[in-house]
Amino acid sequence: MGEYASGKSEMAVNRAIELKNKGHSVTLVDLDTVEPFYTLRPLKKKLEEKGLNLIAFSREESFGLGETGAMLNPRARWALMHEGDIILDIGYGVNGARTLNLVEGAQESKELKVIAVVNYTRPMTNSREKIKEYIASLGRVDAVIANTHLADETTVDLIKQGNSEIIKAAEELGIPVDYIAVEERLKGLINEENFKVPVKFIKRYMPDAIW
Amino acid sequence: MQKVVGDPRKAFITGNEAVAWAALAAKAEIMFGYPITPQNEVMHYWTRLAPKYNRKFLQTEDELSAGFTTCGAIQAGKKAFTATAGPGNVLMQEPFGMAEAMRLPLLAVIQQRGGPSSGTVVYSQQEVTLTTFGGNGEGHRIVYSTSSHQEIFDYVIKGFNTAWKYRFPVFVLGDGYQAKMREPLEMYDPEDRGIEMVKPYALVGLDGRIGETREPQHLCNIYSLEEELYEVVLKIAGDYDAMTPEVVEYEEKECEDADIIVVSHGVVSRAADDAVKILRSQGIKAGYFRPITLRPFPQKQLREALAKSGAGKILIAESSYGQLERLTKQELYGETVPIKSLLMPGVGIVDSDIVNKVKSIM
Amino acid sequence: MVAPAMPKSWYVPSKPHKFCPGCGHGITLKALGEAIDELDIQNKVVFGCDIGCSLLAWNFFACDSTQTHHGRTTPVMVGIKRARPELICVGYMGDGGGYSIGSQHLLNSAVRNEKITVILINNTNYGMTGGQMAPTTLPGQITETTPYGRDVEVTGYPTKGPEFIAEITPENAYVARATVSKYKQLKRFIKNALRNQEQGNGFSFVEVLSTCPTNWRTSAEQTWHFLEDKMEKYFPIGELKNPLGKGEK
Repeated sequence: MGEYASGKSEMAVNRAIELKNKGHSVTLVDLDTVEPFYTLRPLKKKLEEKGLNLIAFSREESFGLGETGAMLNPRARWALMHEGDIILDIGYGVNGARTLNLVEGAQESKELKVIAVVNYTRPMTNSREKIKEYIASLGRVDAVIANTHLADETTVDLIKQGNSEIIKAAEELGIPVDYIAVEERLKGLINEENFKVPVKFIKRYMPDAIW
Repeated sequence: MQKVVGDPRKAFITGNEAVAWAALAAKAEIMFGYPITPQNEVMHYWTRLAPKYNRKFLQTEDELSAGFTTCGAIQAGKKAFTATAGPGNVLMQEPFGMAEAMRLPLLAVIQQRGGPSSGTVVYSQQEVTLTTFGGNGEGHRIVYSTSSHQEIFDYVIKGFNTAWKYRFPVFVLGDGYQAKMREPLEMYDPEDRGIEMVKPYALVGLDGRIGETREPQHLCNIYSLEEELYEVVLKIAGDYDAMTPEVVEYEEKECEDADIIVVSHGVVSRAADDAVKILRSQGIKAGYFRPITLRPFPQKQLREALAKSGAGKILIAESSYGQLERLTKQELYGETVPIKSLLMPGVGIVDSDIVNKVKSIM
Repeated sequence: MVAPAMPKSWYVPSKPHKFCPGCGHGITLKALGEAIDELDIQNKVVFGCDIGCSLLAWNFFACDSTQTHHGRTTPVMVGIKRARPELICVGYMGDGGGYSIGSQHLLNSAVRNEKITVILINNTNYGMTGGQMAPTTLPGQITETTPYGRDVEVTGYPTKGPEFIAEITPENAYVARATVSKYKQLKRFIKNALRNQEQGNGFSFVEVLSTCPTNWRTSAEQTWHFLEDKMEKYFPIGELKNPLGKGEK
């Protein structure tokens, strides 16, 4: 989970495909209750073709979108009953980890890991202090993904500077940083040894997800 | 008032967030709003940010109220704004009319959704007619149609200034895609760019002692006699026409030698821009013309583009069934150039749609 | 010639006012003017009037005034008050504006306990548009749109505004119904409604039972009879909520 437009869905899709490619059985769950754009819904078919079990409305199913309010997929509520790896993409709103209350068994699960995605170019998380304040507001957070980028305008300097602030903020909160997410096309430009945490190269799927 | 952005830097945000930040940077003091998709995050971010910058918000009972409370706050001398879409825009035409009649510098952000009726909550360009000429009046408003997040930010700031300088209601016309898309933009405090924000002033609740140091203010928007109204509307129209050359804005590319000029506005102009490049690369002399102000329309500039290019055709591309087309045709009255159109209400238009259409009519 | 005594807060150039002979607006606005004078708030009052006969008060006072659309005076006053809490905002409207076309604004402003004062004239009909049925038209009453008398089976019963507003407001709201037949009480209620706003307590509402001889087609005697014997029987007079004191029944 994370701030609006922080890259939650992108991280979730990349992780799901990574696990799938390792031979795991993966269920990816769209827990965005309102947003018609940039959720997993427009990508549903494409992701299913990759062999993922996707719990998300298709475009045709999600009648009225934000206008009807009740947009929790009943299958999402029982998502944790699935075998294998389960990735919850928790979207939208000021409620943070409280969205997990909608998922049966989430609070009791010992295997659940709550990961906050942070992009340093988001105005609400563009300083160490703001990042700390923001993560603290989410409730339970077990790890952080540093996802600093500006889409096509991402620079190496930005990746270094933004993510190091995120790492420092996480250190001060005592929360581990799982990895830094960097777009694949920048692979040759990044020296992974410069970072204290692993770097994961990702593909961008979400630009195709505008409704 | 404290600075909002500080050091200018790039941010990766949605269009709705850009509205909230721009309004803060423009020193807007109060927002009134009512939930409707796809503008909700304007309110979400304003309400998250407002207390940190000592600004105010009220969620009203409906859009009528959001519009009229905005009018009230402006009469009381505060920089106030609202945001809406679709059926909310329909309801707000009533208070927008009051702003037109009483020359209230109201700023409203319209994130167009599909219509008629509730339509869809997603995207469309079907609120052009409503936003430019809605209400029981003459359309004495200023409508900026944006095509990127940077423009949303820039024109919200500029819009407050245009409103308070000329005292016409100002609209920043976006759409569901622009509202929700994410892209980088540079945020800034206007004073750091040398932009001086026009100071608001009050029409009621003035200083001084009535009958001693000043007369009372009696504001009115209804008239007993037809002749009185005639005078008032003519005065407004005169002011509007005088203002037009100062506020009209447009974007033009490759029109010098164009055989065909593609006219589009808002987010569709991104596709038109790409399409013109593709067509040029294939040897077709296409030009690009985009009204940024849909009201007042850059009539003179479009006529000039036609004259200098000698273009034999115009193609109008829009995500509505002829709203920009109608606007353009009335503004081009007297020109004989054939006007073709690519009308796709409710759905997005991509470069290949325009390329194919141009080829089919050349 | 001796000029008649007028409240200081009246705007003299707009007098004589434009209301019909026998209309209760003049009495109500005199009470409001005297209340403004006695509280010495003329310079901070913003007076807002609606569409309908209340519109004729647009330049009635030597106070800053604004005129809005039918039913929309409440939100305009809310906007002014939210922007400038130091001002005393008085919305003035009829029963059509407040209870019908603008009822959502009145209701929600009351629920939010907006710190404004609303004075609503109940004369049981739409005066300016020519005497149509209003939400307050009495059962059986003949109007232009109830030519055979108001049939409550078809159009429901008269709206009891103060009763519903009292029900939905917190204790620091002020809610009363006055009548132009009891001038001193009318002025006291209006003054209380202004004081309640001035003290920053909450929503302050006074419905005023008023007369409309022109549309009722009544003589002076018949007018007073309709007010005192019909309206005041149907719509009880008194303070339903008064945070400033015990309240008058």
